[in-house]
Amino acid sequence: MKLETQQTRTPRRAQLTLEELRQAQWILGGLLILLSGWTVLYLEVNAWILMGLTTIAVGAGLVRPDWPARVPRLVHSLAFPVIVVFFVSDFWLKGEVLPAIVRLDILLLLYRGICYRQRRDDLQVIVLGLFLIVVAGVLTVSPAFAVQIVAFTGCALALLLVITLADGVAMKPAAEAKKSLKGLITWRAPDREQPAWAERLVTTRLLRRCWVVADGRVVALAAVFFTGVVTVSALLFLAIPRFQLDNSLFLEHFIAKKARSGFNDSIKFGEVSEIQQDTSVALSVDVSDPKAVPASPYWRMLVLDEYQDGGFRLSPALSRGAFGPERKEAILLGDARPRSGTPVDWTFYLESGVSRYLPLLGQFQELRFRETQTFRPSMELGVVALRAESATMTAYRVQGMEFSEVLLDAGFAERWRRRTEVGAIAGRAEGALQRRLNLAASDMAVLAQMRDEIARAIPAGSAAPTAVEFGRAASGWLRTQHGYTLTPTIPPGIGDALVRWLKSKEPGHCELFAGSLVLLAREAGFAARVVVGFKGGSWNGYSNNFTVRNSDAHAWAEMWDEARGAWWRVDPLALGLIGAAPGTAGGVSGEAAIAAQVDRSWTARLDSLRVFWYRRIVNFDARSQVETLQAVKTATETTGLRLREALEQALAALKAWLVGPWDFRRAAGVLGSLGLGAILFGAVMVVRRLAFNFRWGQAARKIDPVRREAGRWLERLRQAGDNVAAGSELAAVRADLERLRFGAASSWREPQAVFRRAREAVRMRVRRPITRS
Amino acid sequence: MSDFVASSALAESRQAVDRLRAAMQRTIKGKDDVIEQVLVCLVAGGHVLIEDLPGLGKTSLAYALARSMDCAFSRVQFTSDLLPSDVTGVAIYDEREHAFVFKPGPVFANVVLADEINRATPKTQSALLEVMDRARVTVDGVSHAVGAPFMVFATQNPVDYEGTFPLPESQMDRFLMRLHMGYPKAQDELEILRTARTAYDAIAVNAVVTKEEVLKLQSLVAQVFVEDSVLDYILRIVTATRTEAEFKAGVSVRGGLALRTAAQARALMLGRDFVLPQDVRALAVATLTHRLASLRQMSNALEELRAVAAALQRIVANVEYPT
Repeated sequence: MKLETQQTRTPRRAQLTLEELRQAQWILGGLLILLSGWTVLYLEVNAWILMGLTTIAVGAGLVRPDWPARVPRLVHSLAFPVIVVFFVSDFWLKGEVLPAIVRLDILLLLYRGICYRQRRDDLQVIVLGLFLIVVAGVLTVSPAFAVQIVAFTGCALALLLVITLADGVAMKPAAEAKKSLKGLITWRAPDREQPAWAERLVTTRLLRRCWVVADGRVVALAAVFFTGVVTVSALLFLAIPRFQLDNSLFLEHFIAKKARSGFNDSIKFGEVSEIQQDTSVALSVDVSDPKAVPASPYWRMLVLDEYQDGGFRLSPALSRGAFGPERKEAILLGDARPRSGTPVDWTFYLESGVSRYLPLLGQFQELRFRETQTFRPSMELGVVALRAESATMTAYRVQGMEFSEVLLDAGFAERWRRRTEVGAIAGRAEGALQRRLNLAASDMAVLAQMRDEIARAIPAGSAAPTAVEFGRAASGWLRTQHGYTLTPTIPPGIGDALVRWLKSKEPGHCELFAGSLVLLAREAGFAARVVVGFKGGSWNGYSNNFTVRNSDAHAWAEMWDEARGAWWRVDPLALGLIGAAPGTAGGVSGEAAIAAQVDRSWTARLDSLRVFWYRRIVNFDARSQVETLQAVKTATETTGLRLREALEQALAALKAWLVGPWDFRRAAGVLGSLGLGAILFGAVMVVRRLAFNFRWGQAARKIDPVRREAGRWLERLRQAGDNVAAGSELAAVRADLERLRFGAASSWREPQAVFRRAREAVRMRVRRPITRS
Repeated sequence: MSDFVASSALAESRQAVDRLRAAMQRTIKGKDDVIEQVLVCLVAGGHVLIEDLPGLGKTSLAYALARSMDCAFSRVQFTSDLLPSDVTGVAIYDEREHAFVFKPGPVFANVVLADEINRATPKTQSALLEVMDRARVTVDGVSHAVGAPFMVFATQNPVDYEGTFPLPESQMDRFLMRLHMGYPKAQDELEILRTARTAYDAIAVNAVVTKEEVLKLQSLVAQVFVEDSVLDYILRIVTATRTEAEFKAGVSVRGGLALRTAAQARALMLGRDFVLPQDVRALAVATLTHRLASLRQMSNALEELRAVAAALQRIVANVEYPT
């Protein structure tokens, strides 16, 4: 029989073993790879298959760290040439530099994810991941980037720390050499052999060990430092002059971006309605004066004048005639006349993938981009077209924007006035194109019949109805003939599809209504065109901005009002708003309108973060930046002053109370309060004791809860290791615990104090390195 | 808050046992575990049955113990013609006194070595019953106290059974433990070979503890606290032996008490005033094995002993450990 083992080794500060550090290194590296690979989710580079493979492979490696050892040696042998061939062919076939580099990066990360990584490999993972994160951040300017960069930084710092610790602990290079030698005679590559730590990696156990090993003070200090660094970085970000990374790095020019939406020069019927299925944010608008926001704004983006092959498109003639030459500027002056008072500023944040045409309410005084842009404006159409759709959010500020339902067009008025002269030239003039239908005679006959029906609905006395009269009557007639649906059915048959729909009683969507109105108007001799964009939106109650979603996509018509010399908006689906004069229902604006559209849903909360992010990264001038810093400074000073005032008031009150006259009643009150406090304290202690008893199931096990608790701690101590140095704190704690568990109750020390020491002792004990034979 | 046993008494007890242990280890090489169990028996006030081949140090062990604590040692070689009075003593008529005068037998010592106890007749073996149980000898209606402390070291040869009388179960039950010396390790045996002495009484051992200290140790054992769950643990072990098909019969109540006392003694030796389950588990096999008999027919006692010990170890391992 032997006495209890006693060792003379003194307890040392707890730490993870080398094996556990390797395990943590593996997990953190895997997380970094996943975090980096997932940038594809919003980078919009065609690398979904690679990302999926990476997620599956690395995820499998995290769950089963032994499987990379099963990867055949052939894979490692062919890895380098395959990756090179992949990159070269990718670049050769698609001709896109940046997407090819991104795919190469992900492929390298994937390969690193299926290999047991050495120190240099983990450093490569950090560099490769950082490249992806930075590229994604620069290209998308997405709020997700802010979250991701913080997560990535934390993860990368933890990985670097683990690598440093592991290098410090690893002191036996001879073992590595031996392993390499062994690898030469095995079928696996030398450095691909499954390491010992991979056999024993259980994530939950490692996390538990990390939790136990972690020194609360160090973790708290690290958290404070990390938070401090992030906060300081955020403040610097707010304070420093903002610049455009995409323009600086020219990254955007390396990536070909394709429009996600259907707002292109040519639109087939149904494409706008398809956009309506998407509820994501398309446009966020900051307004300097919320009262200026119309109740039902029509965000014009594109004018389509030519009807051909069952769809409207921007005719080449109009494209050439109405749009000016391409310009590369940051400021565009508009045709709107200045009004009295301070002009309202409208700051637009147009999401990527919506369109290269900028949404506008109407004519404006000035449009300013945050950086120089290449664009073609058309003041006549009220449209601004960028050369290419931006891969990032596009921000522009519009000043003095009008939003009435009429759009003045002096040029067209002149051409319209002279239409009889130029219309004879085979319809090549723009004025004629606005009326051309390109329909068969039979379809024209049908339209004429419908026009007659509409004309009969116009009040008597209008021998020659105006555009407004015809537009109202046609809209009413269309609504009586057709219902509304997002999934219309075009009746089969011969002839034009839109005419067939008109002849039927089938319900339709906004494009069919707008297109039909344009056909009918043109048939009646009016100039008309289709306009697409967004209608309406909601007021975000958290960030105080207007939010327009893709589901707000809309199409409507514009008819030439000869009397006013302007294009007049006709929306066949807007009940009661057709032809409304400015200032009436159609032009209602102000707080009442905002109150009716305010959105306080959870989606609005998330959107407000996005807008906050955009406001921070977009800068048209230093004003908002200064305002923000002033606000931070004021808030800090105000809080400090308030705290100081409150403290001074409390001290003054205490002093006044102490020096006040003391009598029996007052003394009794104080003593009573102290007594009450003592009673309450005692009651709390009793309740704690009762809760303690209940917690450890005294009734259930009929074991004294102190003994039960002591038994639990003894068990934890035993699990942490049986070797205890004689005379150490741990030995003393174990003796006290044993006394609490098996000793006489009369000999107990203060149990709670013993448990506290035990808690600390277990933490210390578990941190002791475990040496394996 | 005071301990169940005074801290000073615990410390003194531990120091006394440490001195005793060290003294015996200097004499008996390589048998620390046996020495430890013998000391448990001593502190618990129990007796030891050492079952092993001749010449392995049984007598030296008993003698060294006696000398280490400055106690009287006597040795009785049991033979088939040994009479009870040869052990306990006899009343002889004294002509000068004209009265019967009691002449104490060899049991009137502190450490008694009953060598090859199974060679005596059952009648003589039974003569040891009272003295082992009560530490008293009654002759002609007069009770005589033997030495205090009192400890019997009985030995028997487990192989050579010819002309022997196996100890009855009632006799076996009175031994606290049955121990085995076993052959020493080569290094220890080399050390033994280097020593010049051949007889046990040539051992030079200085007394390191007094009789009073030993008696105080024994008196403290009963004060060592045994918590209910530990008692329950002992009970479950004992009960398990009674339902084990391997054995003819389970451990008696006395066996359970012996295990408890031995555990208390071990706790005291280690400076504790309470018993841990480890104490029980460490002593269960040594304390209970000789109280059990295997149902299977064995060729010799050593084989049976091993079978019983193995079954008992299995039982102890299976009984739920109090946490």
